[in-house]
Amino acid sequence: MSHRLEARLVDVILYGSVAAVLVFFYTPIFTLIAFSFQQGRYLTLPFEGLSLEWYGALLTNTNARGALVNSTIIALIAMLASTVLGTMAGIVAVRYRFPAKGAFLGLSAAPLVFPQLLLGIVLLLWFSVLGRWLDFNNGMVTAVIGHVVYIAPFAMVIVAVQVFNFDATLEDAARDCGASAFEVYRYVTIPLLWPGIFSAAIFSFLLSWGNFYLTYSLAGSTRTLPTFVFSGIATGSSPLYPAIATAVFIPGILLVVLADWLRRRAARAAAG
Amino acid sequence: MAAEIERGWRDPALLAKALPSVLLQTACFLAPLLMTFALTFQKTKNFQLTWTWNLDVWTDVFSKPHYWTILLHTLEMAVVCVVLCVVLALPVAYALATRIKRFENHVKILITFAFLTDATLKTFGWVLFLDQKGAANFLLEQLGLPAGVVAILFTDWATMLGMVYGLLPFMIFTIYLSIDNIDRSLILAAYDAGAGKLRAFWEVTLPLCRPGIWAGVVLVFLLAVGVFLEPKVLGGGKSPMTAELIRQTFETRVNWPLGAALTFVLMTVAVFVILLFNRVYSLKRAMVTS
Repeated sequence: MSHRLEARLVDVILYGSVAAVLVFFYTPIFTLIAFSFQQGRYLTLPFEGLSLEWYGALLTNTNARGALVNSTIIALIAMLASTVLGTMAGIVAVRYRFPAKGAFLGLSAAPLVFPQLLLGIVLLLWFSVLGRWLDFNNGMVTAVIGHVVYIAPFAMVIVAVQVFNFDATLEDAARDCGASAFEVYRYVTIPLLWPGIFSAAIFSFLLSWGNFYLTYSLAGSTRTLPTFVFSGIATGSSPLYPAIATAVFIPGILLVVLADWLRRRAARAAAG
Repeated sequence: MAAEIERGWRDPALLAKALPSVLLQTACFLAPLLMTFALTFQKTKNFQLTWTWNLDVWTDVFSKPHYWTILLHTLEMAVVCVVLCVVLALPVAYALATRIKRFENHVKILITFAFLTDATLKTFGWVLFLDQKGAANFLLEQLGLPAGVVAILFTDWATMLGMVYGLLPFMIFTIYLSIDNIDRSLILAAYDAGAGKLRAFWEVTLPLCRPGIWAGVVLVFLLAVGVFLEPKVLGGGKSPMTAELIRQTFETRVNWPLGAALTFVLMTVAVFVILLFNRVYSLKRAMVTS
């Protein structure tokens, strides 16, 4: 085979695979968006007509609104806690060398490779035993703890990548100029790590916001959007659920775009 | 590039940063795991847990082939899922790292967003797409095909589709990172030496991104053995996988010791399979190179 023909073929495979994968990833998402505009009661094609009535129903449905509020509260707290823990652990992972570092990394990254449903079950057992002993019920707090256990390792990895590209001599320079440990953090470390911390925060928010497995096991009777939708799939559905889905997609895509824009702006500032 | 600072255990700056994560993961990951293991030696009576140390649950687990059939099915599905993910992710990751410079960020954002979207919603979207009267069949009918061509919903095929869908982003990103870190001059050197694109990929790029592929394989495999949503919603719960069995044991049968034991069996077998692959693979490499 001539090299030119081969190069052509390779290009076709490569570009084709990216296009195919994007279509694959967006098939269910666009299907949901399409179905949210169905006028009739049933989720079958062809549509009876196009309407926005299910979005109206969404606004008046108190269960859906409650689930939305719960999801937001849980995601915000989980985001804050995961980002703080992940940032500190990410700095430790790259910047320090100490005895038993391997154990530290293993412990703080382990939940990444642990299946979520099983993590949820193990934590459910733990909280049930503790709850019987200390007299508390599963609810929002236990759900938040579960989310942080699972999401903080993600935040750690994202921040660690940023720390890795960070010039440590800048901190030394600040220290030589007489800055205190706090001032070094406040004016040098945190601003330089900010893009990484910010993407970690957005990642954390969305991972928690869309989390099904842990919430399902740990939230007790508290419903979040994913568990609300899951119960809706189980009992005959209506276009209300695709409407919820579409309403959930919009803040998600905006956050991801915002994170990337900030990251690139920071990269440009660092280069220029 | 960050330099590592040598520190002792007692260093306050280090402790302040490391301790919160250590405490959280010890109290809410390690301790629950240990307690779950301790639970496997207990008994349930009338849906109540009684603390009596014995091996009843373990003899039950090892004497009922039912559990092991389900476990085997789970492992098969996970292996197929891993293979499909590698095959699909390689060209995409390679294209992202080497070709699509202009749209690289857009494609990455699109993949990230799809990955971060709520898993229940995406699974539900697939149900609507694959359904008898769903989007796929509707579109195919418009093209003139007979009704109901796509009939994979509530079969293992649909489960597999959902698993690959959910786990492919992990594979794409791990392989992408390792290809992105490859020194381009090595590949250019291969071209200079007269290698074609495919040969350069096969003999230079692929060996160099092996750690990335391996990391993706481990990650996807471990996550694939634990899927629950896909077999339940897309597979219609007809051929349950281990995670569903475990959930039922806890929720429907309220048998905590048995559920705990099955959890451990699943994780141990999964890790064992990975070690086995690793072993076979390094043996094969040793034979090829010697």
